[in-house]
Amino acid sequence: MDVVLLLQRIFDALFNSAIYSSLALALVIIFRSTGLLNFAQGEMATFSAYIAFVLLAGAAPGVTGGGLASWIGAPLVTPLAIGGAVVIGIAAGAATERVLIRPLRNAPELALVNVTIGILLALNSLMGQWWGTGPRVFPPFFPSDPGDHFAIAGARLRFSTVGAWLVLFALLTVLALLLRYTRAGLAFRAVSIDSESAALNGIRVGPTLMYGWALAAGLGAIAANMSANSVLLEPTMMVRVLVYAFAAATLGGLDSPKGALVGGVVIGLSQTLIPAYVPFIGFELSVLPALVAMVVVLIVRPAGLFGTQRIERV
Amino acid sequence: MSDDNWPSPMPRPGDDDETPGADASVFAAFAPPHDAAIAALPDDTTAAESPEEATATAPPEDDDFGPELAEAALSVRSAPQGVPAGGPQTASGVGNRVRGLASAGGADRVVSPRRRSGPLSWIGAVLLAVWLVAMPLASSVTELRQNTQIVVMVLAVLGVNIATGYGGMISLGHGVFVAVGAFGAAYAVDDLALPWVVSIIAGAAFAGAIGALVGLPALRIKGIHLALVTLGLAIVFQPLAKRVPTFSGGVSGRAVGAELVPPSWFGTTRWAEGLYRYVICLAVVGLAMWLTHNIIKSRPGRAMRAVRDNDTAAAVYGVNLVASRVSTFAASATLAGLAGALGIVLVPFTSQESYPFQESLVLYATAVLGGLGSIWGSVLGVAIREVFSAIGGFLGDVSGLGPLGEFLRLLDEEQFVFGVLLVALTFVFPRGLIGMFNRSKPWLRYGWSRIAESKSLQN
Repeated sequence: MDVVLLLQRIFDALFNSAIYSSLALALVIIFRSTGLLNFAQGEMATFSAYIAFVLLAGAAPGVTGGGLASWIGAPLVTPLAIGGAVVIGIAAGAATERVLIRPLRNAPELALVNVTIGILLALNSLMGQWWGTGPRVFPPFFPSDPGDHFAIAGARLRFSTVGAWLVLFALLTVLALLLRYTRAGLAFRAVSIDSESAALNGIRVGPTLMYGWALAAGLGAIAANMSANSVLLEPTMMVRVLVYAFAAATLGGLDSPKGALVGGVVIGLSQTLIPAYVPFIGFELSVLPALVAMVVVLIVRPAGLFGTQRIERV
Repeated sequence: MSDDNWPSPMPRPGDDDETPGADASVFAAFAPPHDAAIAALPDDTTAAESPEEATATAPPEDDDFGPELAEAALSVRSAPQGVPAGGPQTASGVGNRVRGLASAGGADRVVSPRRRSGPLSWIGAVLLAVWLVAMPLASSVTELRQNTQIVVMVLAVLGVNIATGYGGMISLGHGVFVAVGAFGAAYAVDDLALPWVVSIIAGAAFAGAIGALVGLPALRIKGIHLALVTLGLAIVFQPLAKRVPTFSGGVSGRAVGAELVPPSWFGTTRWAEGLYRYVICLAVVGLAMWLTHNIIKSRPGRAMRAVRDNDTAAAVYGVNLVASRVSTFAASATLAGLAGALGIVLVPFTSQESYPFQESLVLYATAVLGGLGSIWGSVLGVAIREVFSAIGGFLGDVSGLGPLGEFLRLLDEEQFVFGVLLVALTFVFPRGLIGMFNRSKPWLRYGWSRIAESKSLQN
């Protein structure tokens, strides 16, 4: 086995790992607080990336939403556009919780699956209709010219990989600080542990969950904007990523942020390494191992590596 | 997640099935006259209060040990069929027999607490019957083929309905089984040179076998996690199908060489060919619906619903969970596969391209919109889908309205419309549109108005 090649593949995988970890974290935040798997997380994130695309493209002909950009004026520089898109994504996430999820708090699981699947379908189709189903070129989030890399033992570690991990760690730090030192963070932790007791202690459960949705939407939006350059922006961009992220979250334990991080790394590595060494899988089918991993974890150890074991009352 | 105040879209024991009025009368279209006589009976010979209304008005009982279970237990222990002490389900089984008696001997009303069907169900039944007869006469060859495809789609939606509505296993991946059925039948009829009848059955059976395999993990993976896994399956399917070209035709798909031609007395025109295929498909769909109905009403169906409502309790009462779950999933996949197999009779081409994951989700949405836990709900779902696609097609062609036109074009996107409907109906018609056809209130007061009431404070 070629060691340099292996190292190179690991380095390449780490970028994906960061993306999967962020999205898995977003899923975990929502699952932990509401027990809901947000199937629309990926499409919501893609939507935010398209917003950034519109802000960047300005009033270019043939771009729906060009009016928004021309109202702002000149096309924005990349960081500003992406920042704006993430803020819009956060607002949209909070609005979704308020309008579509909160009224269903007493509804059975099926109703929530329906709503998130409905959002997924509608957003996916909307993006295809507005911006075309073909891939769009998205500017890089990090410097990613051919020369932008560190050479380590003959393998190349790209700046974008390092950047993605730096962003992820920055996000984790901010998240940890928010949850640890702000009142809203305390409320969020309380609601996550036991929403009924939290409510009895005077915490307003609804707004707190909205806060969680906003955080999750923000994480997803950042993940989508970071990866839109390398995977090309298209309506189904995050669909496979969502499977990887779900696999990562399941592997780590659906209610464990630490698990999301570890799961993201493991799934990211396996997604690159398994197709490289198992010819049948190939690049296209690389989503299969993730699905298998998810099924196996759910059967053998539903709580995942770091999740809390659930005890069911009969 | 607690169910208080929320009528479950997964039907509760009492409100299982659809609109018997429409049921009987539509079956009369292609069933022996005996059934037509039943259909002609006034529907008012029902109990004073229908179970539907009972569940809608009374606070939903803790359905852990509802009549469903008692009844499942009875039947599983192979007690004599039709013990009157059973719940509504058994009673409706008895009801069938009693109705048979009634039509034969004019026996006095024997109470079968069936749900009352509203006037809409009659209108719907008539509309459906008229459409089924008049459509082929008024259609061109192409339209006839497209309309037959619509009829066949009922099977796929019914498949989703069995897994999700009756079995309680949320399946977001039924498009996969449709595809497998199509590939299987194409393989059988072309590569193995089997006759069409065998090929179609083989395609459906193959889909059923794959469904049983998928059903195995469903023994441990439940609820929202199963939804996740089936969604993953739908996403993984396309690349996977490309990997087995002998079976699926790979990237470019496979053309089907064999053709189903009618016997010479049926006519030799293209239209007669189309009509022949239409009649066959309609017969298969009708037969499948009838079989489904009977299965649902018999022992495995009762076990299925008992497992859905509380698997632990069902197991305690003697239901074999493994057998029930796996066979439910297999049956639902078989129906979907049958739809796929009939699909290649109509269009002699199949490809993984036709089965993106969105297709599976639209199938799911169709089943939910029509009404889970109701066979006619699936028919209604498909009908609604076509109505919306017609409206969208009309509005999408309107041009020159600026931003409004752009919005209208969006309505031509089936996926978009179904996504929005799926969200909206969860609030307005949690039981699906089939609720409109019953006399009780289909819409529910539990929408945005209930926001303020917190679950925690009511407990």
